[in-house]
Amino acid sequence: MLRYSLARFGAMLLTMFIIMSLSFWIIRLMPQSIFENPEVAPEVQKLLEAEMHLDKPMVVQYYYFIRDIITKRDFGRSVKLRPGMEVFKVIASRIKPSVVLNFFSLLMAIPAGIILGTIAALQRNKLADNIISFLVVIFISVPSFVFGSVLQYTFTFKIPIFPTLYDASATSFRAMFHSLTLPIIALALGPCATIARYLRGELIETLSSEFLLLARTKGLTRAQAVVRHAFRNSMVPIANTVIPMITGIMGGSLVIERIFAVPGMGGQLVQSITVGDHFLTVALLMFYSAISLVTIFIVDISYGLIDPRIRVGGGK
Amino acid sequence: MAEDRNKNEVILQVKDLRISFRAYGGLVKAVRGVSFDLKRGETVAIVGESGSGKSVSIKAIMGILPGNAIIEGGEILYGGMDLTKLTEEEFHKIRGKRIGLIFQDPLSSLNPIMKVGAQIMEALILSQKMDKKAARIRALELMEAVGIPDVERRFHQYPFQFSGGMRQRIVIAIALAGDPEILICDEPTTALDVTVQARILELINKIKEDRHLSVIFITHDLGVVAQMADRVNVMYAGKIVETGTTEEIFFSPVHPYTWALLSSMPDLETKERLLSIPGAPPNMIAPPPGDAFSVRNRYAMKIDFEKEPPLFKITDTHYAATWLLHPKAPPVQMPEALRARIERMRRAVANG
Repeated sequence: MLRYSLARFGAMLLTMFIIMSLSFWIIRLMPQSIFENPEVAPEVQKLLEAEMHLDKPMVVQYYYFIRDIITKRDFGRSVKLRPGMEVFKVIASRIKPSVVLNFFSLLMAIPAGIILGTIAALQRNKLADNIISFLVVIFISVPSFVFGSVLQYTFTFKIPIFPTLYDASATSFRAMFHSLTLPIIALALGPCATIARYLRGELIETLSSEFLLLARTKGLTRAQAVVRHAFRNSMVPIANTVIPMITGIMGGSLVIERIFAVPGMGGQLVQSITVGDHFLTVALLMFYSAISLVTIFIVDISYGLIDPRIRVGGGK
Repeated sequence: MAEDRNKNEVILQVKDLRISFRAYGGLVKAVRGVSFDLKRGETVAIVGESGSGKSVSIKAIMGILPGNAIIEGGEILYGGMDLTKLTEEEFHKIRGKRIGLIFQDPLSSLNPIMKVGAQIMEALILSQKMDKKAARIRALELMEAVGIPDVERRFHQYPFQFSGGMRQRIVIAIALAGDPEILICDEPTTALDVTVQARILELINKIKEDRHLSVIFITHDLGVVAQMADRVNVMYAGKIVETGTTEEIFFSPVHPYTWALLSSMPDLETKERLLSIPGAPPNMIAPPPGDAFSVRNRYAMKIDFEKEPPLFKITDTHYAATWLLHPKAPPVQMPEALRARIERMRRAVANG
């Protein structure tokens, strides 16, 4: 198990490095100079370019970029959006609403999805299953920003119980959360439906398996058999769907953050690309990649915990 | 003396059991009036091809019929109860404690992500109300009893680390955990290769002797039947078409379907081409009006297509449902090749 985890961790670092290099090269190839500000005197521009090694060839720039990261843990500074600020400080200043938004949508989606999926599987082809399956299709096929707009219209205009936009001046967490409720729900619906759909399929298959029948011949009640034998077995593929879900939620939150005017990371990323704030763009891309990679890592490890066939290795 | 009296005690009685399945095209009549007795300490075999209703009948005894099955009639009498009328709660008290079940495929009948020790212990804790420590000791004993070497290590392994035969031994250990008096084996050796098969059958015979179990043995392999059973029920299309002691079924079969089954059994001496029964079993959504086997039966008469044959009595233990036994039927002898084969079997048995 330890060797497996270390191998996964090594692979994660390697992937991170590749993503970092790729984003560095691709962003730099965009036809924009970092300093195209007419207000800055040409001499000052020259000085700044020299300081950031921008007057040197790309390969040399890349060398400095990597060297600074390794030796000084310095990913560079923002030059346009928040001039002179270290990129991770910029990220830190925007991280809170984004993380709250993403984290709580997942926190809502996973248990809700599990509950709905289980109900649907146990009530297979009955009314409850039909209702859930119908909703699942809608939640999966309609994109989150449509739900965002619908929720915004319904619950802030028709029935005004939530604020229309994110309350950036909120002092308490409760107030912030209150203004984030609608975007959280809008983001959670899709993943929730995905989990419910997968779990329903998996559970139905496990429920009709022979070992569940054998479990019942041992004298377990139906409920006991489902909890002890069916549930955990169905969790293995579910863990797998959580990966695309996290990246999906982050992708969705780029748009949702705009609709609800959440000053989060998504808006920052789009802005930094448009204005050509290269260091900031690379740092933001890495931040998003890091979240995905860590999720994949956690899921990989949890596979081992859930399924001994992966942990022990070998065999079928 | 008490032993003798127990010998003939009927502990499970299936009476005119009828089970159908709701399916897309209508009701599939899987079991159409099956009756048999199980006496204490004996092994009753139920033989028939796929879809003849063998497994469905025993699933009804265990109360694990799938949701779309309907018990349309009949009784399963056990311990003063009619098992067809039990609620799910009442069934718990029987399943695993008094009736144990061994499935066909040991790979899919064990939970792949649970240690085998835990799976045996689970049965013990549930049915014997043991605490964990006692259950662990008992589980290790059971594993030893079913012939698993190195139990301490094996206890902590997962099903995928076992071979097919070893897995089936685990399944048997689980079935024995409840200390049942009836053991139902649903084609327990079909998924195993022949050498392993022989050892599993030996094991089942041994635990049957040791624990005075009554065994219902489901199979389509007549070779296995000869080795295991005291009495044989031959099933076709949801009905028992011939029933008798193992000797009667093997040495003096009367039903054309039993003849066909016996003729299609491979052995070492037969030189001619092995018989295969022509055609396929009938569609059980709309079973044919007469004898369900008539279409595939070379000896079928007009009445076979019109009216279902009743069970004709041959001896006190031997019955068969075929119009050939009717006094007015023309005398029909079993095929010559089969007669020769039975003669060989007789001689083989006589020589031990």
